[in-house]
Amino acid sequence: MSQKDIPALKPDTPFILEMNRISKTFGAVTALVDVSIKLRQGEVLALVGDNGAGKSTLIKILSGFHHPDSGTIVYQGKEVRFRSPRDARAQGIETVYQDLALINDLSIYHNMFIGREYHKRILGLKLLDNRKMRDLAQTYLNSLGIQIPSVNSTVDLLSGGQRQSVAVARSIYSSPTILVLDEPLAALGVREGAHVLGLIQNLRRQRSVSIILIVHNYNQVFEVCDRINFLHSGEIVLDASTSETSEEQLIRIVKSGLGRQAIAAAAADVRANIPSTSTNI
Amino acid sequence: MRKVGIQLPNTAFERTLVILSRYKEASIAVVALVLAIYFQVGSNGEFLSSQELSVVLRDTGRFGLIAVAQVMLMITGEIDLSVGSTFSLAPYVMVLMSIGWGVPLAVSAVAGVLLGVLIGLVNGIITVKFRVPSLITTVGTFFLLQGVVVSIYNSQPIVAPVQEPFNEIFGENLYSPTDSLWSWHGLTAFTPFLWTLLVVAAMALVLNRTTFGLHTIATGSNIVGAREIGVRTDRIKVYNFMIAGAFAAAAGVVNTVQFASADPLAGGPFLTLQAIAAAVIGGTSLLGGSGTAIGSLLGAFVVATLNNGLVMIGAQATVSDIYLGTAIVLAMILNVQVDRMRARRRV
Repeated sequence: MSQKDIPALKPDTPFILEMNRISKTFGAVTALVDVSIKLRQGEVLALVGDNGAGKSTLIKILSGFHHPDSGTIVYQGKEVRFRSPRDARAQGIETVYQDLALINDLSIYHNMFIGREYHKRILGLKLLDNRKMRDLAQTYLNSLGIQIPSVNSTVDLLSGGQRQSVAVARSIYSSPTILVLDEPLAALGVREGAHVLGLIQNLRRQRSVSIILIVHNYNQVFEVCDRINFLHSGEIVLDASTSETSEEQLIRIVKSGLGRQAIAAAAADVRANIPSTSTNI
Repeated sequence: MRKVGIQLPNTAFERTLVILSRYKEASIAVVALVLAIYFQVGSNGEFLSSQELSVVLRDTGRFGLIAVAQVMLMITGEIDLSVGSTFSLAPYVMVLMSIGWGVPLAVSAVAGVLLGVLIGLVNGIITVKFRVPSLITTVGTFFLLQGVVVSIYNSQPIVAPVQEPFNEIFGENLYSPTDSLWSWHGLTAFTPFLWTLLVVAAMALVLNRTTFGLHTIATGSNIVGAREIGVRTDRIKVYNFMIAGAFAAAAGVVNTVQFASADPLAGGPFLTLQAIAAAVIGGTSLLGGSGTAIGSLLGAFVVATLNNGLVMIGAQATVSDIYLGTAIVLAMILNVQVDRMRARRRV
């Protein structure tokens, strides 16, 4: 599937999410300084940057796992505060974390439905409807072409790729408004990686879910993303559409040195060559 | 030839591993059976008589009630060492209320159990909000509560009122040779065990078939992941501490009703450790994430059997701890090794 199959987003597509001037420190470590990102309805946004740049912290603030020291989140036109991951999930923000958040001692189908279990009433007791969850999980995973031996197995018996596939499947099952994927391809082989990229590409084609993707491989960024935000030392240094920038330019920023000024200068240089790039960073 | 990926167990040994790992209580059921047969033979058929069983099962009921709550807590990765003091304090308060204020036992018993819930709440909040490891929290509350209960009347036991049918229902009677199993007196000789059996069945249902049980397992298995996916792990832990407090208090109430006496030293550290032994022998991992309610009852039966059976076959009462200690170590080795072998073979 190439970039060309999917029409570009209209520039006037409304924003579904705006994170404004988010700052976060952990003790002596400053993770984020006044970071702002915007996400359009149906857009796939790549969040790139070196290890320790603050990508995971930023998305964990969006998912309610961390709370920002300052800054606001506007989601679907309203300012919101996500008190917990449960809160964010309930409002349609699904996250696949780097650690996948799978529970080793539980079966695949329980992992699929944890936090949003199906119940049935027996003698007035609210009990888990295990059969329903088992059947739904099996059908859904089959429909995505994810191959697992049986949804009854505990997830500790799965391979890295299978685990990642189950975690991604869980996140898209509930048709979220925003899907956040923190390095969804990290543990995957070539074929499995292509499969997950295909899933993301499918979602992008439908433009029904907005996606934030943390990814290290710039090749993949250009394959499935509409726009790139480059995060360095807790600040966004570049915000550009994938059609206006290139892999070489990104790599130039990365290679420009370790100092904040060198990165900023390289990013400014790249920005100068992009006519439409936003100037508010 | 073996294929890549998940293997289905194909040798008898691998199948056994899967069964032992999935149904930890299966192995302990075998142990319990072997012990029962051994003591039955050793005691010339006395052990399985209704009279002796009513004693063994009464102890099983006492250990089991505390152990099943301990199992829930241990699945979340926490532990409660204060149960031995709660066991003494709750019935002491119950009896004081009944004597001092004339409150019916049935009502003051509820107050005693609620006190246990409160103790659990405090243990839970100290552990999750102040980030004190529960091992330390509950050692602290253990001494604190033990100190409170002995200071009330200078560690004197007080005679508890007897109010029928309350005392009968909660096991005041012991089985006597003239009893019939189907008489009220005969039946009530087993009530401490029957209540525990009921509670264990309920907890097995809670653990396996409710959202609370699922989240309890998730909390102990992968606490960060559970939190990320929206499980309220702190709340789950606090609730389980409250259950542990309630069950320890209830076990203390039953114990006091049996002997019509509230002894400030009835529980203590030894009872705590026996209940933990029962939980561990029953297949609960101290690392969290796995354990079964039925296993805790079987573990309690093994502990009670060792305590009573060895005496019956004429061994010195003091040696029973040697067997108990050995049983705990062997159970833990089995527990850990079965999981490791299963993981290594990926069956």
